[in-house]
Order: sequence, then structure tokens, then C-alpha cells
Amino acid sequence: MVSVINTVDTSHEDMIHDAQMDYYGTRLATCSSDRSVKIFDVRNGGQILIADLRGHEGPVWQVAWAHPMYGNILASCSYDRKVIIWREENGTWEKSHEHAGHDSSVNSVCWAPHDYGLILACGSSDGAISLLTYTGEGQWEVKKINNAHTIGCNAVSWAPAVVPGSLIDHPSGQKPNYIKRFASGGCDNLIKLWKEEEDGQWKEEQKLEAHSDWVRDVAWAPSIGLPTSTIAGCSQDGRVFIWTCDDASSNTWSPKLLHKFNDVVWHVSWSITANILAVSGGDNKVTLWKESVDGQWVCISDVNKGQGSVSASVTEGQQNEQ
Amino acid sequence: MGKKRTTSGEGRERQRLPARRFRTTSPAALRADSVDGGSLLAPLLGLTDRAFSDCPDLADGAMEKMSRVTTALGGSVLTGRTMHCHLDAPANAISVCRDAAQVVVAGRSIFKIYAIEEEQFVEKLNLRVGRKPSLNLSCADVVWHQMDENLLATAATNGVVVTWNLGRPSRNKQDQLFTEHKRTVNKVCFHPTEAHVLLSGSQDGFMKCFDLRRKDSVSTFSGEATEAGPREWAMAGCVPILPVLSCRILRLHHSFAHGPMQDAESTANDARESWGCPLYPLGLCSGPQAGQSESVRDVQFSIRDYFTFASTFENGNVQLWDIRRPDRCERMFTAHNGPVFCCDWHPEDRGWLATGGRDKMVKVWDMTTHRAKEMHCVQTIASVARVKWRPECRHHLATCSMMVDHNIYVWDVRRPFVPAAMFEEHRDVTTGIAWRHPHDPSFLLSGSKDSSLCQHLFRDASQPVERANPEGLCYGLFGDLAFAAKESLVAAESGRKPYTGDRRHPIFFKRKLDPAEPFAGLASSALSVFETEPGGGGMRWFVDTAERYALAGRPLAELCDHNAKVARELGRNQVAQTWTMLRIIYCSPGLVPTANLNHSVGKGGSCGLPLMNSFNLKDMAPGLGSETRLDRSKGDARSDTVLLDSSATLITNEDNEETEGSDVPADYLLGDVEGEEDELYLLDPEHAHPEDPECVLPQEAFPLRHEIVDTPPGPEHLQDKADSPHVSGSEADVASLAPVDSSFSLLSVSHALYDSRLPPDFFGVLVRDMLHFYAEQGDVQMAVSVLIVLGERVRKDIDEQTQEHWYTSYIDLLQRFRLWNVSNEVVKLSTSRAVSCLNQASTTLHVNCSHCKRPMSSRGWVCDRCHRCASMCAVCHHVVKGLFVWCQGCSHGGHLQHIMKWLEGSSHCPAGCGHLCEYS
Repeated sequence: MVSVINTVDTSHEDMIHDAQMDYYGTRLATCSSDRSVKIFDVRNGGQILIADLRGHEGPVWQVAWAHPMYGNILASCSYDRKVIIWREENGTWEKSHEHAGHDSSVNSVCWAPHDYGLILACGSSDGAISLLTYTGEGQWEVKKINNAHTIGCNAVSWAPAVVPGSLIDHPSGQKPNYIKRFASGGCDNLIKLWKEEEDGQWKEEQKLEAHSDWVRDVAWAPSIGLPTSTIAGCSQDGRVFIWTCDDASSNTWSPKLLHKFNDVVWHVSWSITANILAVSGGDNKVTLWKESVDGQWVCISDVNKGQGSVSASVTEGQQNEQ
Repeated sequence: MGKKRTTSGEGRERQRLPARRFRTTSPAALRADSVDGGSLLAPLLGLTDRAFSDCPDLADGAMEKMSRVTTALGGSVLTGRTMHCHLDAPANAISVCRDAAQVVVAGRSIFKIYAIEEEQFVEKLNLRVGRKPSLNLSCADVVWHQMDENLLATAATNGVVVTWNLGRPSRNKQDQLFTEHKRTVNKVCFHPTEAHVLLSGSQDGFMKCFDLRRKDSVSTFSGEATEAGPREWAMAGCVPILPVLSCRILRLHHSFAHGPMQDAESTANDARESWGCPLYPLGLCSGPQAGQSESVRDVQFSIRDYFTFASTFENGNVQLWDIRRPDRCERMFTAHNGPVFCCDWHPEDRGWLATGGRDKMVKVWDMTTHRAKEMHCVQTIASVARVKWRPECRHHLATCSMMVDHNIYVWDVRRPFVPAAMFEEHRDVTTGIAWRHPHDPSFLLSGSKDSSLCQHLFRDASQPVERANPEGLCYGLFGDLAFAAKESLVAAESGRKPYTGDRRHPIFFKRKLDPAEPFAGLASSALSVFETEPGGGGMRWFVDTAERYALAGRPLAELCDHNAKVARELGRNQVAQTWTMLRIIYCSPGLVPTANLNHSVGKGGSCGLPLMNSFNLKDMAPGLGSETRLDRSKGDARSDTVLLDSSATLITNEDNEETEGSDVPADYLLGDVEGEEDELYLLDPEHAHPEDPECVLPQEAFPLRHEIVDTPPGPEHLQDKADSPHVSGSEADVASLAPVDSSFSLLSVSHALYDSRLPPDFFGVLVRDMLHFYAEQGDVQMAVSVLIVLGERVRKDIDEQTQEHWYTSYIDLLQRFRLWNVSNEVVKLSTSRAVSCLNQASTTLHVNCSHCKRPMSSRGWVCDRCHRCASMCAVCHHVVKGLFVWCQGCSHGGHLQHIMKWLEGSSHCPAGCGHLCEYS
């Protein structure tokens, strides 16, 4: 099912905490404890270092690519309590904005769907989520949701902009009135859904309670042809839940346990068509999951880091070592 | 040191142990003990080899006592918990008594001793006595002697160094007062093994060494007295030596020379006399003209080298001094960019010095080499105010900051980016940290500006490393998976050889870990990009399909066939079959482009791609499955060699297939499928028999149909198939062919019965469900493509909203894959109003004012600058807000209707310019 096509020599000096591919799947941004953010060109299985971004003063936890219609923009967040927005101009990457509005480590950044403009959500260990909106001419407007998650917020993920019927209600030409939503996961074991009110304030819309330990990652599935909204959440307790909401108006979400792993589950990531979920856990394995006909999630592939199903010879070699 | 303790120390230890246990040893006796190696001044002045060689013994002796204390104390005292107590005032510094049972806290308006009990701190003694608070009590630093539990020293902000004797019977424990510094004394430090030696470092740029048995300093070290001798290892950026200074140094040399190190005091007196300065023996002389003395921020006696101490300065320098040579430092180097606030000698590693600076870095230096070598560099978040090596943990040190950050961090110097532990108790800047016991790594005490004293338990520390996410995961656009994971977790990898087989799987890059130093703290990650196959989210098929699908511009049947062929070639048999079925459902047989179909069927057979693709066969599965098999068997039955010929001329076939008329094998297929459909819908006979004359199959079809049924689907043919490299592995399919084949005869019979077609409307529900099925499977491409190809035939069955959602999703995807042309085509072909207006959404017309020639910004008809309406109708003299037609000759124009009307009656310009306008 899965094979290694590229092992990227990042030459990061410490642990890598996040790797994100850009919108077109051509570039890979990584961030590490060594305070650096690196960007690689990974087209055709290559790995050319394009940029080494230095500016953070602590481990960098997460990176996020903005939609290319705004240019080449990358956001990174760090233990140093800062969020840095990097921008490429004429082939060189430079710091374009620095947000220092948090009192503790910033754990997660996520760009809103491009339809909303350039909006970045940042979740921090100080429990707050801040939303940075680009207002033009290098200015960013900050809105902050204080005490979003007690102890801390670990992950944020935006709902897709394309919600069924969002365009139809409005005469052509008029900009559709999107309802902005995002999900966040935190140390209070909760996944929370947030919605922007008409007055521009963010309000907690829903609390999804299922996990018994810190929520490590949430991922709102892209809505490619799907009639339902789906959120995947994973936690320190080793469990991965899939939350679905069939009816946007009633806003009731039902959880389904995907699997209980033996170790912490760090990440969940949806495939582009939202039919496959990749899950990475503390056992250093990536598993791919797919919903079967009867609505059960089944593991369709197992990826052991660094090997995959590369070749029999490698696998044998490993067994010998063990 | 450890070895020594077990050998030479054994005897002494045994002797002293009882005394210690019963605590009869008086502090005085202890002091005598430690000094028994000779008075301080003897080694100070006796520059002999013996003195050097004796030192380690002496030091060991001292350390022994401490370790014994640990054992004697056992677990009884060093139990405790994370706790804190409120102080009356902000603390500036803390220091722990050598028995680890008491801690002294000093600040501007506090000087107290607390007993560390199991559950709490208990105030034992307030050393601030007297009615009017003296500036002498405003402490910048405090230190508790590590050999004498009654001896303390404080550094006052007014420059006074005070010693305290807790053994004094009176309430005022103040012992001695040294008023030699001119400015704040930043640091005081007892010699680790000598009871009477105290070192101070001050803001005024001087360090002074005191013998507590004397009234004033024994020697003074100037931060500027540098680099005089040839032995110095100068580093760039040293303070230039001013003439005055060198002169002074020369004199000093002289004074040292004439009395060969007999008495330090006499030396000092000499110096004092020679410059006639009674109070500050050296300080004043170097005075203002000597330039800015760099403030001393920290002084620390080396734990292992008897005569050595290190000092740090505000200009970023670190100096190493021999206590016997006040004239010049042994060496100096620039350690930090900006002030060096603190330093600490490693308790075990001789020559390891940790320094912390305002540049937010902690550096570990190896001082044993000729040139101080930077061993490690830890980057903290804020400027480093204090640094303390963690006992018993070779690579750990604790730091705190003097601003911004209130936390205390414990770092593993080998992991310079993430703290190993973090204590977050304080609400304000932490000013003092001290490990409770020199051999216990778990208790850390701290004082803070928030007026609290804390005991931290290492166990309770939060560990950022543990909280940090060790993995990164991302689903790429093409279904590739980027995965970064902590390397140490993958132990099995360490010995793996690079794999250089397939070009598609490049070499593994492995960063070699230094085998000399394997430890758990190091972390590195391996980052791999995985490729997934279609079932696992690979998206190559999407791009190929999008590019090759034909969506419009040809007859429906042709489109279906083409798309079916594309799907088949990409190994997506279910999709291919769907297209084929759609053609069958919606196209009248007379129009079947048979050659093409032949080709696709043959192709399907020859490709022999595995039947089981990623999609789970859902509700349509039985029909589809058998269809596929049918198809293949037909393809096989008709030997590929014949049909592959036509594949070569596929393109041309497509061009003129309309004229080719119906061909035989196509009819077979039709017949078969109808048979299948009949099987499926046999329960509904009313629908099954509507007569449709158009659908009557040509008679010629029947004989040929029998031919194919007669074609032996025998073993030799199956053998053929198995031999084909493409079909290997589809044994199961091959096996399942048998029953299908047997059903052929049945089908052929049934075909005769149902030679008519069902109306396409009948399939509306089925097709709708199918599209929903594909969309839910993540293949919105199929849904949209079918929607476009079938057009009105299915549109009515699917609600507008869903259609639009599919369209937008598909367009989004196409744009992501940079398939702009396809995306544009889809937008163009879409029937949803909201979607088709997307093509106009980002089209901009720039309009310039016809008068001032400047761009018109807000509205199209009024210029903001010249405030004139740009486009007046020449006929009605009103502003034209919609279509404006104008003559290119005279540039007059107006409302389209008006101009048209005008020109019907006159050929002259309505504006009266005389131009003969033409409207075409």
C-alpha cells in the first residue's frame, strides 16, 4: 500500500515537530526544536532545501501554509510564545509579521479557508486562541478567545468554507455569507467548536466530550463532495474519534471510535478527498483508515516509519537485527 | 574524587562519624578541622609545587564531609514536597546551609533563615535586627558557607560585604563589615574548602578577596588588569590596556617581587602606600582615568582548583584568576554578547564552567585547554540571571531569568533547545536558585521577586519535552504522506544499510549518531515521504483522469466510451464499467460507436488489471462485479490480437465512428448487459417490457452473439490470461469466470426475450444513487463528470444544492492540482448558476475617465477626480450606466438603444460633430 518515495535529510538538529506540504503538494515545510523552520522542494521525489527560517527563540511546534492566492505565506508557532508569519518575496523568505500576544507556548496554527481572507487561528498553552486577520498594508487585527481551553489548547482546525448550500442562497455576484467555524482541542480533554457571530465575536458553539486525556490533534475533514461534516480528534488516551454531523442546522455531533491505540496518538490528517484518515501514534507508526461500507473504520495500511513496504530485503535485514 | 573518598577518606570518616552523628562537633571545631591543612595564607603565599599537589587532597577532604553529611542525613531530612511560603518582601538571593535543612533568603528588605521541613518552610531567624534599617542590610547576594553552618556572607547594594556568625549569642549576628567596594556588590563567594576566604565581585569593577580573620581585603583584582603577561591568551575584543594601568601593574609586580610572597597584607600595604590611598588600596588608583571599569557580575571559586576563580563581566568577558596573582588574570575570553550575569563551575568535571548572559544563552566552557573551548550552548528564552549545575546529573543545569520569564528551567546541555524540566510556580522573576543538597538532584529551592520561597521537586516539574509533539504528519496533495518521527524511537533503524535498489525509492539518509556519547536526551527526527497507492489516497489517477476525460463536444455514447476507456486504462474498472453502463442506459443502440467499444472491451481484457480495486462494492456491487467479469471474458474470448489492431487506429475511429454503423461485437455487449439488467430488474416486469422500436437490435447481431457464446471459454484461454504479465494475481477472478461463462448461454436466451430497452428515466434513481455513492467515496470527479456528460438526463434527479457542492468541490480540487484548463472547462459546462458565474468572478475591467484619463475607481460612470460623468448618451444626454456604444471615429456614443434608433434615421453623429458614424 505504502512505500517510501523520499527520505528527506532535514539536517534539523533536534526533533521535528511538524511537517506540512503546501497547497500544490510541491513544497514541504518542517519545524523543529532547534528553532528553525525549513522549506524543501519535494517535487519528483527531490529534496532541495529552499529556505532555512530562523527567528524563533524556542522550539517551533507547528507550521501552516496559507492559500497560494495570497502569495507564499507560511505561519509558524513556537514555544517562545510567538507566531511568525513568513512571506516569500522575489525568491527569498522573510519574516513578515510577528505576533506575540500569548502568555505561553503557542502550540498550533491553522489558516482559515481562503474564501474568508487571510485569517490565522493560533492555539496556545495559555488556554487562549487568537485569530489574526490581515487587514491590508502589513496590518493584522487580533481577536482573542480567552480561556478557550483550561491548561492549554493543543490544536486548531478550520471547517471547510464550502458548505452545501452556501452559494445557492445568494444571488450570483454577491459574496456568500460564510459562517466561519473552527475546531480546537485542548488539555481539558475537550474538542470545542467555535463560530463567528454576526457581530464578529467568536462564540463556543459545541463541546465534544469523549476523550479522557489531552486532545492532541483535531482535523476537520475537507468537504469534498461529502454531505456531512466530519472531524477527527486524537488524544493522549490513545483513542481516535470521528465526529460527524449530518445536519448542519441541528448541529448535533455523534462520535465514533475509530480505534484505541496503545500509546498517545499525536496526529490525524485527512487525505485530500477526505475519505482516508492518516493517524500517527506514539509507537511511531502511521496507519491509514477508511470507512467501510457498513460505516466501520478499517485500517487499510500500516506504515512503519522509515520502511513502509519498501522492499523485502530491507525488512529482512531489520528482522535479522532484531 | 570518588575513588579518593573510598581510600584515604575511609579512616577519617570512621573516626568522625560518631561525632557527627551526635552533632557534638561545634562549628568552631569544624572550622579548625578544615583549616588543619594550614592557614589560608600559607597556601596563598607559598607558591610551591607542594601546595598544588596538596590541594586535591584538601578539596577531597571537604567534599568527603559533605557526602558524609548526605549519608548521615540519610533520607530523614531530604524528604519533602513541592511547597512554597510567602516572604515579607521580594528575595534577591538564596543560599542553602550545608546540612540542606535551612535556607537563607536575602533581599532589599529581607534577611531571614528558614528551616526546610517536610511539609513547610518554618522561619527560624530574622537577621535584620536593629531599629533603623541599614543599607548594609539591603542584600544583593547571600552565601552560606559550605563548611561552616554558622557562617554567612552578604553583599549589600551599597557596596558593603558583611559576614554573619550565627553562633554569636547576641541577637545581632553581624560579624564583620568590609566597606571596600564603591558600588553594589553583585556577588559573594566562599572558598569551597577554606573556611576564611571570601571573594566578592562588585559593580565598581573590582573583585576582592577577604581573609575573615583580617579587617580588610587581602587582595584586589581589577576587571581591567588584563593581558599583561606573555602567558595570556588574548582574545579579540579585550579591553585595551591603558598606560596608567600598565604602570600600576608594573608597580605591583615590583611590590610582589621585593617581598617574595611573604604576606599579602604587606603587599597590599605596599600598594596602598605607593598610591597613597588608604581606603581603597587599588580601586582609587585605577580611578576614573583608567576608563570604565567593567562591572563584575559573578565570581566563583573553582571547586577543583584550589587557587582558581572565575569572574564574569558586563562587557561579555569571563576572566580566570589565580588567587595568588592579583596583578593579572590567567586568561580572559569573550563568552557572551552582552553582560555575563552568572557562572558556575561543574561540581565534578574539572574545568567545566557554565556561563549565562543577557544574550539568552548558557554556554559551557572547557577551561582545561589552552583556549577556552565552548562545549555546549543552550539557548534559553530570556536572559540568563542564574545558572546552577544539577548535582549528580552531569549534563544538567538549572537557569532562571531576570526578566520576562518567571520560570526555572533545567536543561540538558546536550539538548540545547528544549528544557528538560520546567518549574512554573513563581509569579514574578525568579532571583535565586539553589539545589538543596550538593549530592541530591531532586530538590531545588528558589526565591523570587513575587516574595515567595519555593521548594521544587524535580519529579513534579513539567517536562516540555514530554509535552512536545514528537511527530509530524501530513497528507500531501497527491496522497503522499510526509511523516517525521523521533529517531531514537526507531532503534531498529540504527544499523540499517542504505538501500539502493529501486530508483523509485531513494537512498535512506541516516544521520550518524556519535557512538561515543549515546544518551537518551538527544533527539533527532527522521522525515520520510511515503507514496500511497490509489486505495491509500494516491491521487495520480485523479490528475490523469481529469486531463483525459471528455466531457462534451461529442455524442453521449462516444463520451461514455471514451471515458470508460480512460478509466480502464488507469485501472479503475468499476468506473469504466459505470461509464459503459451509462452509455447503455442512455444511448440508443443504433448510435453505438461500436468500433470504439470493441476497442475498450478488448483493451480491458488485455490490460487485465486486477479486478478488486480500492472501492468497496456497495449496493451496485453484484451487478458491477458480474459485469466486469462478463466484460473481461468477452474481451478474452475475442482474442486480443484482433481487437488490438483497432486500438492503434483509435483516434481516427473516434472521429468517424458515427458513420461506421453498428458493429457486431458491440451488440453482443449490449445484449449481455441488457440481460444483466433484466436479471436485476426482473422483479418489475411492467418496466421490463416497454416496447421501443428504436432499440430493436439489428438482426445480424444474433448469429454473432452466438458465436461469442460458442467461443470456448476453455482452459487454454484461461491459461493465456494467466500467462499475461498484467493479470498475474487475479486467480480468483479467473476461477470465478466459469460460472459466468455458463450463464452466457442463459443470457443469450434471455436476450431473445428482451430485445427492447428500458427507458432511460427508469434508471434515474439508480444513477443518482450511483453518483452519491461515488461522491461519498471521495470521487467527486466521477459525480461531476457524469453530471456534465449526461446533462439534462440526470440533473432533475439531483437537487441543485448537491450539484453545486459537487461542482465547487471538484473545481477546488482541480485548481489545487493546477488543472486550470480542466477547471475552466468544468465551470463552463456546469449548469449551476452559482458555479458558472465563478468564471466571471475574478474578471476585472479597468475603466479610465474619458476627460482626465485617470482610472475611475469606485463607480464606472462618474470620475472621482474631475467629477464629470464619463459617459453621457449623445441622444438623451443622460449618464450611461449599462452598455455604452460609441463610434470609433468620433468617440461619441450613448445608450445602445438610443444610438441604434438614431442611426436608423440619420447617419450623422447624434452629438452634432458632423462625423458620419457607422453602426455595424
